[in-house]
Amino acid sequence: MKKLSFLLAATIAAGVGTAQAETFKWAAQTDPQTMDPHAVNSAPVLGFLNNVYEGLVRRGKDMTIEPALAESWEPLGGDGWRFNLRRDVTFHDGAAFTAEDVLFSYERASSEAADTASWFAPVSEVTVVDDFTIDFMTTAPNPIFPDSIANFMIMDRGWAEANGVELPAKDAENFATLNANGTATFRLAERQPGLMTVLEPFEGWWGEVEHNITRAEFTPVQNSATAVAALLSGEVDMINPVPVQDAGRVAERDGVGVITGIEARVIMFGFAHQADTIKYADDAGQPNPFRDVRVRQAVAHAINVDAILQTIMRGAAEPASQLVSPAMRGYTPALAERPAYDPDAARALLAEAGYPDGFSFGLKCPNDRYLNDESVCQAAVSMLAQIGLRAELDAMPVRTYWPELREDNFDMYLLGWSPGTFDAEHPVRFLAATPDEEKRLGSWNFGDFSNPRVDELLPMIQSEIDDAARQAMLDEVAQILQDEQAYVPLYVQPLIWGVRDGVELTQRPDNFFILRWVTINE
Amino acid sequence: MLAFIIRRVLQSVVVLLVVGLVAFSLFRFVGDPVDNLLGQERTIEDIDRVRSELGLDQPFPVQYFRFLQGVAQGNFGVSFRQGRPVADILAERAPATLELAAVSALFAIVLGITLGVYTAIRRDGWLSNFIMTSSLIGVSLPTFLIGILLIYVFAVELGWLPSFGRGETVRIGWWTTGLLTESGLKAIILPAITLGLYQMTLIMRLVRAEMLEVLRSDYVKFARARGLNQRSVYFRHALKNTLVPVITITGLQLGSIIAFAIITETVFQWPGVGLLFINSIQFVDIPVMASYLMLISVMFVVINLIVDLLYFAIDPRLSASRGGGH
Repeated sequence: MKKLSFLLAATIAAGVGTAQAETFKWAAQTDPQTMDPHAVNSAPVLGFLNNVYEGLVRRGKDMTIEPALAESWEPLGGDGWRFNLRRDVTFHDGAAFTAEDVLFSYERASSEAADTASWFAPVSEVTVVDDFTIDFMTTAPNPIFPDSIANFMIMDRGWAEANGVELPAKDAENFATLNANGTATFRLAERQPGLMTVLEPFEGWWGEVEHNITRAEFTPVQNSATAVAALLSGEVDMINPVPVQDAGRVAERDGVGVITGIEARVIMFGFAHQADTIKYADDAGQPNPFRDVRVRQAVAHAINVDAILQTIMRGAAEPASQLVSPAMRGYTPALAERPAYDPDAARALLAEAGYPDGFSFGLKCPNDRYLNDESVCQAAVSMLAQIGLRAELDAMPVRTYWPELREDNFDMYLLGWSPGTFDAEHPVRFLAATPDEEKRLGSWNFGDFSNPRVDELLPMIQSEIDDAARQAMLDEVAQILQDEQAYVPLYVQPLIWGVRDGVELTQRPDNFFILRWVTINE
Repeated sequence: MLAFIIRRVLQSVVVLLVVGLVAFSLFRFVGDPVDNLLGQERTIEDIDRVRSELGLDQPFPVQYFRFLQGVAQGNFGVSFRQGRPVADILAERAPATLELAAVSALFAIVLGITLGVYTAIRRDGWLSNFIMTSSLIGVSLPTFLIGILLIYVFAVELGWLPSFGRGETVRIGWWTTGLLTESGLKAIILPAITLGLYQMTLIMRLVRAEMLEVLRSDYVKFARARGLNQRSVYFRHALKNTLVPVITITGLQLGSIIAFAIITETVFQWPGVGLLFINSIQFVDIPVMASYLMLISVMFVVINLIVDLLYFAIDPRLSASRGGGH
C-alpha cells in the first residue's frame, strides 16, 4: 500500500510537471503523410509544415498575405516580381538563410518529382540578384504570384545536399520524408509516421513569439468518436474536426468548447453540360435535359439550402452563391444572392423547357470527402423529387469517386472547391474554363462547361495588374456563371474545432492550424 | 509427422498464392490511388504519368507478378502514402498488434476457462446464471460499440484509463513494447477487453458445455466412486478432456483476434497493422494492402499448423494410435 501511494504521488507530481511545461496536444483525422514540403500538395501536409517551414510570404490570421522570409516585394514592371529577403534568418540546424536557398527550393519545388510544380507554371526564370534579393520572372504579368506561393516553403541547400534530398522522393523513402529543417517557429523534434509527431519551439526564430508552448504533440486519431472522447477526457487540448452531430454535445460540456468558422470550400452541384443523353436511371438513353439552362435553374430553385444547413449542418454553414466564399479575394458582392427556394418557379421552368412531368437521372456523390456529403445529397434528392426530378443517388468513397467523374459517369454530381490561391480566379481556371490539357485549364471541369467569353476573360484576368479592371472581369465571369447556372453553389463548408477551455488559438479558413497563435492559460 | 508438416506447408503456399491473386484482382475496385498522390492542381497528363510510374496501367496479373517478384527478393514495395518501404512500416506496427492480440488472448483464455469451469460446476448458482446471461452481451454487441462504451465509461466519465493510443513504449531491439511502462499498461486494458470479450464468452460457453458433457461421463462417475477429491476430478480428469475442442477454437480465434483487431485498433487509435490496413484502404495504398493480406494469411496458416500439431501433444488417443503412451 505504501508503495502504491508513493507511485500515485509520483504520478501526480509528473502530471503537475507537464501542465507547467505547457505541453500542447492536438489530434486531427489525417496524419501528414510526409515531412517534405514539396513532395505532396495537400492541406494536411502543407498545414502541418507551415509550423516548421516558412515561405517568402505567409498568410495572416485573416488570410491576408504578409511578409515572412521576404521582407518586401515589388513587381518588376509586368515581367515578374522582386523579393527582398529578410537578413539574420537561420535554419533550425543553424545554417544561414540566403537567396541561394530560395533558388534551390524553387528548383526543388518546381521539379518533375515535386507535387508543387504547378505553382511555378507562370515562372520563366529565377535570378539571384544578391544574397538577399531574388527575382521571379514570369512569362506574362502575374498580379497574384506572391499570393500563389504562400505555401512554397524554403529548404536549406546545404542541408538538402548533405542528406541527399536535392529532389523530393515520390516512390522511395528519403531523409526529408522523416526529417525537417525549416526556419519557422517550431522545429521537428520527433516523427513517428501515423503515431505521433512532436514539435518544439525554435529558439533562434526571427519573429516575435506569441505562443507559450514548450512542446507540441500531434496524434492522428482517425475515428471521430474517439477524438471527441479524447478531448472530453482531457487527453488532448484540441481536435479537428468535431463531427457536426457532436458539436452541440461538446459545446455544452464543461471544460471544453467548439470554435466554428467557415472554410474556404464551397460545396456545389455540377452537371453534364455536353453529354448527349442521360446515363442513369429510367430515362437513360433519353436526350440530356441538363444542356438546357432552364433545367439547371430549376434545380437551383428546387434546393432549399437553408433547410439543409439547419438540419444537416446544424446551422454551422453559410449559403453560397458563387464558386468562392465572400472571404476570398475577387468575390463579387453584387451577386451575393443565391436563387431563391421556389418549387413553383422550378416547376414552371421545367415545363417551359419541355419537361412538365420531370425526368429521372443519376446523381453521383462522395460519402467520405466533405462534411455529411451523402446526407446533403439525400436531402437534395427528396427536394428535387418535389418538382418531378427523380434522382437516383449513387454515393461512393472518394477513392472511387474521382475516377468515376473523370470517366464522365454522371448526370449530375456533387463537388467541393477550395481555391488554393484564395482568389476567385482559381475556380474559374479549374472549374469553368473549357478543359484544355495543353494549357492546364479546366482540369476539374468534369461536366465540360464551356463559354467562349469566360475562356477569353480568364487569361486577361490572370495578367491584369490593375485591381479594379481585374475585379470587373471577375464580376463578369461570376455573372455569366450565374446566368448560365454552370454550377449550383450550395453552401460554404463549416470548420468545427473542439478546444479545451484555457486554450486560445486562431482558426484560419484554410483549415491550417498555426501553432504560433496558441496560448495556454492555466 | 514430417511428411504431414511438409504437405501442410505446400498447401499453405498454394493458399497464399490464391489469396494474393484474389486480392490483386479486387484492388481495382477499391479505387484509384492517383488522386491521393497528386494535389488539386494536377492535370490529366500528371494522372496518366503517375499511374504508369506506379505500374497501375498494367493488367492486374502483371501487377501481381511484379509484387511476387519483389516479395521473392524480400522487397514488399514502397507505400504510396508514406513513401517508405512497406517492410519497415509493417515491422514498426506489428509489435503493437501482436501485444494487443496476446494480451486479449490471455484475457480470453484465462477468464474464459475459469468462468466456464465455474459455471459448469455451479450450474444453477445465481452467479453462474448472471455470468451466462451477461455473456450474451459479449456475444451479441458489435466490437466497436463495446469499445465506445468502455471509452465513454472509463476514459470520459471516470477518467481512469486513456481513450486512445498505446501510451509510452520502450524499445527493445526492433521491438517496441508498451507492457513495461505504466501508461502503456493502462492503455492496453480497454482495447484488450474490447478485442477479447467475444473470444472470452465463446471459450467460456464452450468449456462449460464440454465440462457438463464430461461430468456426465462414466469415468468421472467412477472417479467419484473411487473417492477422489472433487478438485482432482474436476481439474485433472474432467477439464483436461474438455481441452481438445477448446484448443482448436482458441487457435483459430487467435488468428481472428489478429485479423479483427482492425476494428478495435480503429476505435482506440491503436497503432498496429490493423489501423495501418484501414488507412491503406482509404488511400488505396496497394503495396501495404497486399503485404498486410499476405501477412495475415501466413499467420492463419501457421496458427492452423500449430493447432494441428498440438492435437498430437494433447489428445491421448492420437498419440496412442501412433504407439506412444503416457
